[in-house]
Order: sequence, then C-alpha cells, then structure tokens
Amino acid sequence: MAEVESPGQEGPNSTSGHPHRAGSPTSRAGGPPPIIELRGVGKVFFRGKEPVEVLSNLNLDVPEGSFEALMGPSGSGKSTLLNIIAGLDQPTTGTARVANEDITRMSDSQLANFRSRTMGFIFQAYNLLPVLTAVENVELPLLLVGLSSSERKKRAETALRIVGLDDRMDHYPRQLSGGQEQRVTIARAIVNDPTIIVADEPTGDLDRKSAEDILNLLERLNKEFKKTILMVTHDPAAAERASVIRRLNKGALE
Amino acid sequence: MIPIKYNIRNLVVRKTTTLASGLGLALVVFVLASALMLSNGIERTLGRAAAEDVAVVLRKGSDTELSSGIGSSQVGMIVANPGVAKDDDGQPLASSELIVVILLDKMGTNGVSNVQVRGVGDNVLRVRKGVRIVEGRPARPGTDEVIVGKAIRGRFKGLELNQTFELRKNRPVTVVGIFDDGGSSSESEVWADLKVAASAFGREGFVSSVRIKLEGESKLDAFKAAVETNPQLEAVVMRETEYAAKQSEMTSLFIKVMGIGIAVLFSIGAMIGAMITMNASIANRQREIATLRALGFQRSSILLSFLLESATLAVAGGLVGAAASLAMRFVRFSTLNFATWSEIVFTFEPTPSIMITSISAAVFMGLVGGFYPAVRAAQMNLVQAIRGG
Repeated sequence: MAEVESPGQEGPNSTSGHPHRAGSPTSRAGGPPPIIELRGVGKVFFRGKEPVEVLSNLNLDVPEGSFEALMGPSGSGKSTLLNIIAGLDQPTTGTARVANEDITRMSDSQLANFRSRTMGFIFQAYNLLPVLTAVENVELPLLLVGLSSSERKKRAETALRIVGLDDRMDHYPRQLSGGQEQRVTIARAIVNDPTIIVADEPTGDLDRKSAEDILNLLERLNKEFKKTILMVTHDPAAAERASVIRRLNKGALE
Repeated sequence: MIPIKYNIRNLVVRKTTTLASGLGLALVVFVLASALMLSNGIERTLGRAAAEDVAVVLRKGSDTELSSGIGSSQVGMIVANPGVAKDDDGQPLASSELIVVILLDKMGTNGVSNVQVRGVGDNVLRVRKGVRIVEGRPARPGTDEVIVGKAIRGRFKGLELNQTFELRKNRPVTVVGIFDDGGSSSESEVWADLKVAASAFGREGFVSSVRIKLEGESKLDAFKAAVETNPQLEAVVMRETEYAAKQSEMTSLFIKVMGIGIAVLFSIGAMIGAMITMNASIANRQREIATLRALGFQRSSILLSFLLESATLAVAGGLVGAAASLAMRFVRFSTLNFATWSEIVFTFEPTPSIMITSISAAVFMGLVGGFYPAVRAAQMNLVQAIRGG
C-alpha cells in the first residue's frame, strides 16, 4: 500500500500535513474511498447483569470530506456510535476502520495516539479546562506532537483567529459566552489538523444565533478545509446544514 | 505531558481545600524538622566545647562524670603519665572536677529542677580554653564565690549576677561572674570552688573526673594505655569529643525518636488529608480528565499529572512547615539531660540536610496520599466521564 499525501488535507495551521493512506483494500472502484467504514458493529452494555444491546449489526460508510448528521431519539445509540468512530469506545462485535486504521484491534494507548492524530472533538458542554485560557486550551492537543512552545502558541492563535476569537485569546472560559466557548472548542478540535471532526450536539446548549455561528463554522471547515465532519444532533435545523442526514433507531440505521 | 500550570492553577482555584491539606502537611514537616533540629542542637551543645586534645579520666565502669569517683590521691599519679601538657611553670595542665546536682527553684514556675554544679580547681580556665567570663569576674579560689553558665542565668532563683543561693542548706554562695563556653552544655552549669563544693557535699578526698590537656591529639593512645593499665588507678580514659558524644547519645536519641514518632503519627493524618483533597478534586474534574484522555493524553500522563499535583501541594506545605520550623531557632528549650539528670538548655539548630529531609518527607507524603486518587483518575471510564461530571 502506497503512502501518499491525500489531497485537500492541508489544515489551517499545518505546515506539513499528515500523511494519510489512500485507497483501502476494501474500497470499491469509483467514488472517494470511505474514511469511516463500519462492518457488523454491535455494542452491548450491561445494566447490572442485564445485557442491553445499544447497537446491532451496523454497517456504515462515510466518504472522505463529507459532512454528515446523525439523528435519532434519545437512547437510539447515536453517541455510542460516535464514540466508537472517534476511538473513545470499542464495539462488542464487528470491525471499525477509520482513516484506514482498524481501531477495533487497538490497545488503549494506541487508541489515544489514534485520537490525537486523527480526531477533532466538539462536545455539547464544550469541555474546556476552566483553569486554562482560551489559547492554552487550544494548545493542549499540540502538547502531544512535540512542538516548541512558540510554535504551539502560534498555531493555537491561528486556530483561534479562524474561529473569530482573536480578541479573546487570553480569556478564561468563565469570561466567555457559550458561543465563544464552543468556538474555542472548535479551535482546539482543528489545531492538530485532524482528518475527522466529531461533534456531539455542538449546538445543544446554545441560543439560535450562536448555534447558527457554530454551524456556519462547521460548514466552512468542511468546505474550505475539507474536514470530514460527523455531527450528532437533535436539532433538525442543525442537521439540515449537513450534506447527509442519517437516522438511527434502536441501534440500527434506518 | 499535561502542563504543570494546569495542576498549580487547580490548586490555587481550590484555595480552601488546598490550604487545609497543605497546612496538615506543613504541620508534619514542622514537627519533624523541629525534632531533628533539637536533636541536632543537643548533639552540638554537648559536643561543642569538646576538644580532640583533651582527655577525660573517669573511674572504670563509669560513663558519666556524675557516677564517677576518683580519689584525690590518684590525681597526682594520673597527671604524671606521659603526654600531659605542662604550663610555663612546668605544672601539668589538668583540671580535677567534682560534679554534684542540686535542686533549685525554677523562675516563673512553682517547680524545682536539678542544676549541675561543677567544683573546679584554680587552673580550670587554663585547661578549658573556650571558657570566657562575659560578665562580672572569675571566682576567687577557695571562697564561696561561683560563676554561672550564661544558658541558665536567670532561669533559677539566685542564678543571676550578684545574687546568692544556697549550695546546700546554710551554705550560701554568691554569683560573681557569668561565663560563655561557646554554646556548650557547661553553660547550663554552676561552677564553684572544688574544695568548697567537696566540703559542702561531704565529698572531700574525691573528684568526679580529671580533664587533661594533652601535648597533642596523637598523645591520647599512649596516655590512655598508661592510665588504664595501671592497676592502682582503675580508671578509664576517653577523648573529650568521644565523651561528649556519649553524653548526648541518649537525650538526642530520645528527642529524635519522640519527634519522628509524633511526625509519623501526624503524617498519617496528613496523608489522608491529601488523599481526600485529591479525591474530591478529581471527582470534580472527571469531565476535564476525560477530555484530556479524548484529546489523546495517555493514562500514564494523567497518573503523572495528578501525582505531580499532589507533590506540588506537598512541597508547598513542606516549605511552609520548614520555614515555620526555622523560627524555632529563636526558642531556647530546656530539658533534662539523661546523662546527668540535670536541666540543660538547648537551641534548635537547623542544617540544610534537616531541611531537605523534612521537605522530602512532605513529598513522600504527597506521593503516597496522591497515589490512589491519581490511579483512580487514570482508570476513569472515559465514555461515562466525558458527558457527566
């Protein structure tokens, strides 16, 4: 398998970009190869001794560069599915190939490396560290790639500029509005130039106007920076912004 | 690695709990450092005026001057041995001394305590070179005049310049001078005339010890051999430094063991305190920890980060405790010297190594107390923690 630079992966701060493997052995002829490929994925939780099947025999192909929304009622398994794709959780059965890596066979520490290389995270509750400033929060993922501190700062500032927070770099999360906090989270999600961005209810805690700003930003990341975005949402208006809407019900895609 | 500023700022944000557990750690370090400083003070006080070229002669089988007795007639035989330094007149530089213990009223309390009285001969100041009269004048030989060490002056009724106290019932003596002996234990003694002391206590014809100024440090062995092999003498010879070390051994060990014992007991509390603080802190930060893991930080980074946080807390507490213990330098501490059963005054004497030991103990407590919470943080269920908390 040849190592090639995949097109369109130059991130906003990247000087070199990540080498991505193109053309998986299972990719079919024609059309872009899927960057996310789930086969027969099932997930069983135990509530006490009672097994609860959250996902069952699920297949999913997400082509590189798409912006997909995942909808469904509460408890339908949206977040579990997102967690498996993001490498936060592992399926009970089946395989998940993401960015051409079989993440179902990875150890805990390999998964951590995978997440840091491949994933950008946007959470409903922002999940910023309250004792760090905006720019320090954005710098966090860069601590894992061995950059000089000045280089880290430069890249974090660039990411914050992209999300329009040039004037809030040294603010602490408590000094920011919800919409601004979520923009810091987005800056943190893109600073490492990830292949895929997963967003779990990114607009769930925001007012209409801020939600609109966040969705515009996600759209821009998808179109301009060619990021593959997977977004779990309850909000039909948010889902409308995605190019594909998938619905999950009782652990299966409809 | 997770930046240390994350941990430091978290400690600062949680002021109250940080302060509470930090003070717990500080207390342990304070107790530990103080005990070590005191123990060091005792060793140094008792050893301070001791010289390498001075020999102490005691009765065979005695460890202390108090339990020793040498016949006055034997003193001449002792000083006639080789190696004894002579003064300009050709007289041997030797000081016969008699130790007795008296009870005196302690100032500021209703209690009494033992005070060591040393009967000394005319030439004592020539043998004990370190002794200086700092106030008043030397006692005249053969009179009821005494001089008092500066450490106990004013601590007992009558032990002040120009005051009078009873050496024994109806045997009043007058303090005419205050002496300094470089901070040694003799500063906790009263020095009277040898003959006056002997007659007051019915010890005529005996002395407790003879201090011999040697011609040089290397002369000890020959002098020792000559004295100890003489069957008429039944005496032992020790270098003064060796004798001093023996005197301080028991008391200093007692203080050390007691201090360390108290510190260890306290440290259990402090470690539990640190553990509770870290546990609560980690429980409040579940989502932050999960976020760090999601971003790609390894479990080991989380573990290290929280151990560092706990150690930082401990170092801060340790520094406060160590700094507070340095204030003890200004405190004078009087205790019973187990070798003489007399009151002796000590100071707390810090050394860099005592400070390092104490702060290291704090770091150890921080690491032990922080270990379980840090492991818990590292093993947290990522999926649950990232949404909750």
